[in-house]
Parts: sequence; C-alpha cells; structure tokens
Amino acid sequence: MLETLGKKLILYLEVPGVPLALRSLDLVTVAVALAVTGVLCLGAWWLRRGLPADPEAPLSRRGAFLIAALELAETQLLGGFPKKLARELLPIVLTLFLFVLLCNWVGVLPIPYIASPTQDINVTFSLALMVYALVHVYGARQRGLRRHLRSYLEPYPFLLPMNLIGDFGRTLSHAFRLFGNVLGGAILTTIVAVKFAPVLVPAGLNLWFGLFVGAIQALVFALLAAAYIHIAVE
Amino acid sequence: MNIGGEHLVEAVKYLAAGICMGLGAIGPAIGEGIAAAHALDGMARQPEMETSLLRTMIIGQAITESTGIYSLVVAIILLFVA
Repeated sequence: MLETLGKKLILYLEVPGVPLALRSLDLVTVAVALAVTGVLCLGAWWLRRGLPADPEAPLSRRGAFLIAALELAETQLLGGFPKKLARELLPIVLTLFLFVLLCNWVGVLPIPYIASPTQDINVTFSLALMVYALVHVYGARQRGLRRHLRSYLEPYPFLLPMNLIGDFGRTLSHAFRLFGNVLGGAILTTIVAVKFAPVLVPAGLNLWFGLFVGAIQALVFALLAAAYIHIAVE
Repeated sequence: MNIGGEHLVEAVKYLAAGICMGLGAIGPAIGEGIAAAHALDGMARQPEMETSLLRTMIIGQAITESTGIYSLVVAIILLFVA
C-alpha cells in the first residue's frame, strides 16, 4: 500500500496549442469529487422520497428529521440574515458545508489511491472563487450594482487599493485554510505512519485530522462564506 | 568529497523549511490560548452558556489557526516542490 505514496494519476489530454497545466486532469481528485457528489445526490433523493405528497398529511420521521436539520442549519449558519435572504441562501451554504465535509471525511478511508479532493488546491480555490462570485452577485442584487461598486470606496476613496487587496486576501485565505488543514493532516499522518510509530498512533492521528479537523474546517468554510455574503449584503 | 552549489541549495531548503514551520507555530498557539482563556472566563461566569461558548471558541480558534497553516504550506512547498 505504501508504494502508492506520492504518486499522482494525471491524465494528459492531447489538445494542441493549450499549455500543459490547462490540459491535465488529476484523476483521483475528479473521480472522488464526482463520487462525493453522487453520494450527496443519492442522499437527497432518498430523503425527498420519504416525504408524503400531501402537505396536510402527518409528518413521517424523515420529514421531521429534514425539518429539524434544515432549521438547525438555518439558525447556525445564516443567523444574521433577513428571513427571505436566509431562505434563499440556505441551499448553497448548506451544500458547500456538506460537500466539503464529505470530501474531508473521504480522506480518512485507508484505500490505496483514494485521497480527499480538498487536498488539491484546485478544488479549494475553485470553491473560494465561487463564493467570491456569489458575494458580488448577491451584493449587486440586494443593494443595486452602483451602490455595491461604490461600497469599495467606503470609508475613504483613497482606500480603494486596500479594499481590493483585502478581497483578494480573504479569498486566498479562504482557499488556503481548507487546503492547508487537509493536506497538512494527511502528510503528518503519513509521515508518522511510515517513519515513527506504525501501530495505533496513525489511527488516532487519522481520526483527529480526518474526522474532527475535517468537520471543523467544513463548518468554518461554510460560516465564512455566509459571513462574506453578509458583509456584502449590508 | 565534492560539495557543490546544489548541496548548499538542498541544505538551505531544509533549514528554511524548519525555520518557517518553527517560527510559524508560535503565533497561532499564543492566540488560541488567549481565545480559550477568555472562553473559560465566560464559562465560569455563566455556566448555562457553556455549549454555545465552546462552539464559538472552536470556530474562533479554527480561524486563528489560518496563519499557522500558511507557514505549513510554505514549508511543504520548500520541502517537496522547490
């Protein structure tokens, strides 16, 4: 199993004229991310299927669970938002949380080639860029495009470069926090397992870095996404 | 022994990775300790808010740890990529 350490399965597409970095696909990342998406879709379909079609019928257990879980998510993740906006944002923020959570937890499995998709900087950076785009879209939609763009000149117009760099830095840190936590945990566990204490200690480290830190970082990712949108909306 | 320029570069890379991670681990530890101290103060003052304070403390510490993670990323880049 240790022969697969450090090896990457990269697919190079033969497209003429495109630089190498743009036409290579990390197969493990793409496959595991697609698998996580499939699992999430299956879970959503199974939960939805258990609900009765008639809204007046008494709630099944799945319905009660869904309502409790969604209300918990709405109060925890989207606490400071006005009601209508919170209801609009709940799907995207909760999906971000669940996707990142499952991606982090997949890395705990000791299967030879399976690694978290969030170990790849491309995945975390894409998610952070998506949140940045969402910030602009919701800011422009709530406050109007002109007022949203003028907010970059607050509080003083000569602070415009600082605001722009602040946006850039927040997006970068959003991506790198998740990436660094997951990759650092994986590397530490691997090195301890190979060099120092091959018995029992890697299992404890894997549980801590994979399950606990993975869950906390997923929560922080979703919370910060909601906080960034909140800053732009009011 | 033929020691050339590339050996110096290798040695300096390892040294730099060590210094980077070592110095980068000081700040987050102090900051997270301060956050935990204030959270403990609050819990001692109002024991009924314990779970809420604990959850907020964990989230605040996760964000404080970010800069330590940045230095970890730089150290990993120095060791494995450069």
